[in-house]
Parts: sequence; structure tokens; C-alpha cells
Amino acid sequence: MSIVLVGINHKSAPVEVRERLAFTEDACASGLRTLVDGEVVREGLIVSTCNRVEILTETASERLNETIERVNQFLGGSNTLPRSFFQAHLYQHTDDQAVRHLFRVASSLDSMVVGEPQVLGQVRRAYSIALEAGTAGRVLNRLVHHAFRVAKRVRSETGIGANAVSISYMAVELGKKIFDSLAGRTALLVGAGEMAELSARHLVNAGVTRVLLANRTEERAGHLATELGGESVSFERLSDHLAEADIIICSTAADEYVITEQMAREALSRRRNRPSFFIDISVPRNIDPAVGNIANVFVFDIDDLESVISSNIREREREAERAELIVESEIMQFQQTLRVLDIGPTIGALRNKLHDIARLELTRQRNRLGPLTAEQESAVEALLLSTVNKISHPLLSHMRRSFDASDAETIQAWRDIFGLEE
Amino acid sequence: MRSLLLAVLAAYVVSAIHAVLAFLNKRRALQRVSEWAMAAGFVLHTAALIADWAIYGHYPLFYLRETLSFLAWTLIASYALVLYRYRARPLGAVTLPLVSLLIFIAVITRSATPDRAQATTMSATWLFPVHTTLLLFAYAAFFVVFLASIMYLLQERELKLKTFSAFFHRLPSLTTVNEIATSSAAIGLTLLTVGIATGMVWASSRDGRLWHNDPKEIFAALTWLLYVLLILHRSTASWRGRRAAWMGVAGFALVLLTFFATRLMGGYHVFGIT
Repeated sequence: MSIVLVGINHKSAPVEVRERLAFTEDACASGLRTLVDGEVVREGLIVSTCNRVEILTETASERLNETIERVNQFLGGSNTLPRSFFQAHLYQHTDDQAVRHLFRVASSLDSMVVGEPQVLGQVRRAYSIALEAGTAGRVLNRLVHHAFRVAKRVRSETGIGANAVSISYMAVELGKKIFDSLAGRTALLVGAGEMAELSARHLVNAGVTRVLLANRTEERAGHLATELGGESVSFERLSDHLAEADIIICSTAADEYVITEQMAREALSRRRNRPSFFIDISVPRNIDPAVGNIANVFVFDIDDLESVISSNIREREREAERAELIVESEIMQFQQTLRVLDIGPTIGALRNKLHDIARLELTRQRNRLGPLTAEQESAVEALLLSTVNKISHPLLSHMRRSFDASDAETIQAWRDIFGLEE
Repeated sequence: MRSLLLAVLAAYVVSAIHAVLAFLNKRRALQRVSEWAMAAGFVLHTAALIADWAIYGHYPLFYLRETLSFLAWTLIASYALVLYRYRARPLGAVTLPLVSLLIFIAVITRSATPDRAQATTMSATWLFPVHTTLLLFAYAAFFVVFLASIMYLLQERELKLKTFSAFFHRLPSLTTVNEIATSSAAIGLTLLTVGIATGMVWASSRDGRLWHNDPKEIFAALTWLLYVLLILHRSTASWRGRRAAWMGVAGFALVLLTFFATRLMGGYHVFGIT
């Protein structure tokens, strides 16, 4: 049995190619039914996201090349594309390589931003589509579940997903660093940009209980306020509201400082020096950089956030090296799982054993046959072997079926009956 | 009792190594080992102190060896409290190695010609154990203030500079370390006040004088003043954050001076040194 993975991702192909090869969920299901014929391709799964298309299949070891060819044809056929269009961008992995690739994808080691967890959900979705389409069988079931396990281990044992790598999460992470828990905190949005809104959503999810919105056009603020469950406050009385807020996110289109050092100082003294955290995601900046010099006030502008993010990404990449070790050790474990599942060697061993018996009997009785020509001799042998094959055929197919049903007990029983080593 | 103390040392060393590794690797399993080893060490340590008391007949806080061991014991107790209350694990990565070092010194220190008579007379009064125990616990509390302040300053600096070291994410939040520092300072100051008061009562019962102008007393008074200021400023909220944290560091420098004052400058508090 062999595992074959053919795919393209954001590293191997530009978006123009990826978008043409991508599958919708429906296309995945119907595509799988075409691709998996039970003969050449025995099992299949398609992971299709904006960054990758991965076609994972299972086949008999001797039909490896046929399978690769079939998957290639399938990719071209189902998207009506000439193979020259995508062929150069494809990567093809078999067996351990394919297993490694899937484990790395599921653990988000192969992602554009290492450690982002979405891809695991996408693999999960792909798997349930394959289950519904009936194309995930005993090998892929085990493989995919093992991949989920690897992803979980990587996530809990390394810091790969630890530090924020987006501006909106940065607000939550730094907020927690300053305030510990965000529960019961108040956030103030000055200006209602998209990024500010997204950050506010993350803050609310992280426990911030009160959101104040100050916008020049009160209509927009009111609209956002209902959506976020916040209160719209007057922009003119910004100075008053500054004192109430622990986290202030500024994103107006103003070209002067909306929050001056004086305002921040007053707010701080009204807050009795409780720390406050300003995030300025507007360009030009809306918060006077001098505010950052005040004790107990922390100001991050867009460049500060970007630079922290890039250092967090480097940190994740360091953690990814540890994750790779986990992947390697899990590949070894999976090999063992496969060995138990793999019917090929057992059947091969059984067939050899039967053939050996036939040959031994032939040698024993050879003298009685008298002199034979070489042709006659090989005809006798062929006759014996084909008889053995014909008789053993139903036996072997029954064996194959019990393997297909992943019936480990029966598999072991077969091995015991014929005294076969694993 | 050396063998028991050696066992204590072993447990603390195991705990310290795991605490440091847990801090570096963020592995939960390591942290658990560290905490169990610490708990085992603490139980043995308590037993060792009680055994010392029973065998030598004086409160085990007289000779240098005993003082170091007792100080280590108060440090562990304080760290355990902080751990329980705030889950502030990184504290252990500093406290546990320090405790191991103290126990190590205690193990290799031999009290030369122990002055049994003096030790027994002094610990005959209940004021001696109360005075010394309270003060050692106060020192331990101030050590916690010191560590929390250092953690505050490191993180505050990184937040201001916007460059984060690998350890940044492993330290407790600013609010947490601030709370740890505030509450430990309050506890420490209370212990220090009562400790100094019992010392005065004891001194006056010995020679009728409350104050001897000895270096330890002077430094203790300065320490007391500084922490009173710290608490006052924290409670009026005008001195939160960095300045309070710097006071926590300065206060601990004074604590160290107080602790070693006698050794460096002699004075009324000289006894049982060796």
C-alpha cells in the first residue's frame, strides 16, 4: 500500500495558478467520486484552500505511478486546464514524504504564517467531505486522525501559536500583558475604521465588558455601537471619556493629533495613575508620540505593532523547529500503524509459502516423471502454481476483505493459521 | 541532622532545575515536577528545623547555619503563597536556586565551638523566637517585593521600548506583578513593625534600653521608613508603577544591608556568629 500526495501551495505556485486549481466543497465531493475508482486510487481526500490544493490518495504499491498519473489527469480534467499550466508547480510526495507533508500542513508548519490554526479546521472539513463521499477508508482514516493528533501535540508542546501575528490580536495580547485579565475593562474606539472594529471585536471576545465609540459622524458610531454592543459617546467630550477607558484604539482620518499629551496626562491623573494602553493605527498618527513618555501610559503606533509582529513571527519560526522534531517522531509511529494495516506483505508471504509447498512437492516427485524437455518442465511447474493460485484465490480475497474492514483480530488469525511473521 | 538537610538540599535542587527549565521551555510537566519536589523539600525542611530545635534545645535561628536554613524556609513558604495566590511561576526560577544556595551554604557551614549557654539563655524567652521569626518572614516578603518589582521594571521597559525579549511572554502581567509587590510589601511591613517592636521590648527587658544605635537597628529603621513611604505612596495611588517598583528594589538593598550589617560593622546584635 502506498500513500500519494499531489498538490500545490503558496510556495510552489502563484495565486493565478492556485485559484484555477481550487475546488469548491461540492467540486471536492464530486471530484473525489470520480478520482477514487477503487482500482487504481483506493482512497482519496482533497484539501482546497486559498493557499493550497492537496490531493491525498491511497493505492497499491505497484500502482504508484498509475496513481500519480491519474491524479494529474484529474487535476487537469476537472478544471479543464492544460497540464502544462500547472504541471511545473506541482509537488508529488509518496509514503513517508506524503505523511510528513500532511502532518506539517495540519500542524500549520507549512502555512504562510506559521502557527495559524485555521488550516487544521480546513483539513477537518476536507476529511468530513471525504467521509461523506465515502472515499476515506481505513488508511486515510488513520492517517488523518494521526495528523490531528500531531497538530494537537505541536500546539500544546511548542509555542508555535503563542504570540500574536496580527494587529487586531496584538491589541488583545498587549492588553493582557498590561491588565492581566481583560474582564471588566473598558475600551474606547476613537474613529471607526475597519481595523479598529476588528480589534474591538477581539477585545470583546477576550472579555472587555464595555466599549465606547467616539466618531465624528455619530451615525456611523451609533451603527457600530449597536453591532458591538457598545455605547456611542460624543467626540467633543473625548477628554472625559479617556479617563474611563483602559484601552484606547485610535483610527481616525484626522491629520492632526486627536489625543494630545495634555489630554493623556489629565486622563491619567483622573484615573489615579492606573495604567492605560493606547493603540494608534492611523496614518498620519492621531496620538501625540509624547504621550508614550508618560509613566503608566503605553502607546503603540502602527510601526511598533508591525515590528513586534515580525519579531513574533521569527519566534514562531524558532518554535517550528521543535515542531518538526515532533512531526518526525510521529511519522515513525505512523509507520508502525501502517505496518499492521498493510495487507500486501502478508498476502505476499502467504502466496510465497503456498508456491514453495508446490515446488517442494514437484522436486520430491520429479524422478517419477522421467526425462522431460525444458518446456515440459516449466509447463508442469506453471500448472502446479496456477492450480495453487486458483485454489487460494477465494482465500486471499477473503483475507483482503477482512483487511479492508480493518479487522485486526482476523488479520492476526490469518497470520497465526499460516504461521506468517508480521 | 546534616543528612536530613542534605535530603532537603537535593529536593530543592531538583525543584530549582525543573523550575528553571519550565521557565525556559514552558513545559507544564516540568513545572509539576518542580512543585512536587519543592513540596517534598519543604516537608523535610520543616522536619529538619523541628529536629534541630528538639536536639539542640534552642530555637533553630541562632547560628549562621540555622539562620540561613530558616531564611530559606521562609522564602519557600512565601513563594508557595505567591504561587497559590497568583500562579506566578517565574518567581520560582529565581527563588528556588537561591534557596538551594542558602541550604548548600548551611550544609557546608559548621558552627565552630557552639556557645550552648548563650544560645539556650537567649532562646529561653519567648521574645527571641518571635522577634527573629517575624523579621525573617519580613525579609522573605521583601524579597518577593524585590522580584516582583524587577519583573515589573523589565516588562515596563520592554513595553516602552516596544522590543520584547523571549522572556517577556513568560512573565506575569504588569497588573499581577504590581499586585504581588503591593500586597507583599504590606505584609512585609506589618511583620517588620511587629518584629522591631518585639525586639525593642526584649532589649528593654535585658538592659532597660530600647535603642542601642547599633548598625542593624539603624538600617532596620531606615528600611521600615522606606517601606512605610512605599505603602503610603501606593495607597494614595500617586506612585504606582515604575517609581514604586524602584522603591521595591531600593528597599531590598536596605534589607540586605540590615541583614549583613552586624557581620560587617559589629554592634549590639553580635551573637552566635560563626
